[in-house]
Amino acid sequence: MKLSKDQLLRIINFCKTIEKEGTNPFDLDVRGSLETLKQYLPRWKLLDDLLLDAEAISEISKIIELQGKWIKSRSTSFFIDPLLIELKIKFLEPERLADAFFSSWHPICSMDRITPKRLKEGLDYWNQLLPLRERKSEFPLPFQSKGAMSIKELIELNILSKNKFNEELSKVFEEVRRRGKIDYWSFVYEKEFKDSVIKAYLTSYLVSDGKVALELDPITGDMFLYPLRGSVSHDKQKSISISLDYEDWLKWKRNQK
Amino acid sequence: MEEESKVEKNMKKAAQLLFFRRHRLPGVRGWELKRAIGGDWLEVIKLLNLELERLGIEVKQISETGEENEEDPEGARFVALLKTPLPPKATGRRIDDIAILSATLAFLISKQGKASKKEIEELLSEKFPRWRVGPSIDRYLKDGYLGEDEKMIYIGWRTRAEVDKKTLLDLILAS
Repeated sequence: MKLSKDQLLRIINFCKTIEKEGTNPFDLDVRGSLETLKQYLPRWKLLDDLLLDAEAISEISKIIELQGKWIKSRSTSFFIDPLLIELKIKFLEPERLADAFFSSWHPICSMDRITPKRLKEGLDYWNQLLPLRERKSEFPLPFQSKGAMSIKELIELNILSKNKFNEELSKVFEEVRRRGKIDYWSFVYEKEFKDSVIKAYLTSYLVSDGKVALELDPITGDMFLYPLRGSVSHDKQKSISISLDYEDWLKWKRNQK
Repeated sequence: MEEESKVEKNMKKAAQLLFFRRHRLPGVRGWELKRAIGGDWLEVIKLLNLELERLGIEVKQISETGEENEEDPEGARFVALLKTPLPPKATGRRIDDIAILSATLAFLISKQGKASKKEIEELLSEKFPRWRVGPSIDRYLKDGYLGEDEKMIYIGWRTRAEVDKKTLLDLILAS
């Protein structure tokens, strides 16, 4: 009994997936699904089971409706293989893509404006408004954020242990020294994304501290790390923001396999 | 003579309602035009359309989803559309951003109107920097050119109203 119920639920879920994701409605074997429902119908005695059967019928009928629409859309001139469009998009210059849009675009003409009535209302409101210093009590100050917490503050709040932080920092520095000049991403990426974030943070600390240099190739965009012996003068320092993207990390991990 | 001036006055009123945005969305509802102009409002719109045609502008009656709606004039939205294509420089947007919209729409049309956001972002990221793709899609979602429902992106009302989908596909395929 449970097995047959599972089959019904599977049909319902499959139909819902097709509806939601817009995949090919012909992926559902309508005849086979109806045969299954027919086969189990005499066994249903409880209301819940009959409701489940009715839901399955309703979902299958929605798929049949989608199949009708699918055939209709494919028979019109709009039907083009998505793969062909994908290829075209990949190979076309952005200018050509934009030109195609401009030639098929008939924008709505619309303007924003202010009427004399609204302008007068605004003026009247302004004239009645008391100076801000007299209305200060109406606006309690919001919670003042002090911005990002410094390492010192984190240590003072016992969120971070100074010894532990220095220990981790030394480990990363030792690794840079051991590996010499190395591609930034090869160095920072770890098996876990969380560890990669921690390592990127510690590396940025070492770079800011002048212990490790970050070299950026302006043509290829490649970044390299290498240990520094002396300190770098602050005049020669530049700021660079590097974002650690989870999707990129996943790609890297897949390539590692 | 007096009759003529009344019609002209109504046409001016209709033009103001059509061109100057009063709500979040551009255009004006049929019932708003009826209230402002009176019983012969549809005739006034037809006359205004003839006048605007000379300037390359067309009044179109669209539904909530942006499709042409001839059935329920009072419930429909009336918008003024440019008949001739706009020169690229007149948009004020980067070519890259327009190309992103063009590619997204062509892909969506080929996928029967909707595709997952991830699929679109992956396709676009092969051609455009990821940091440009995300905000661009968000802006077009806000403008109504695209719609979003549970991580699925679909063609928005504004695309249905403004873009000749067949021409767009034909041009991309012919390029």
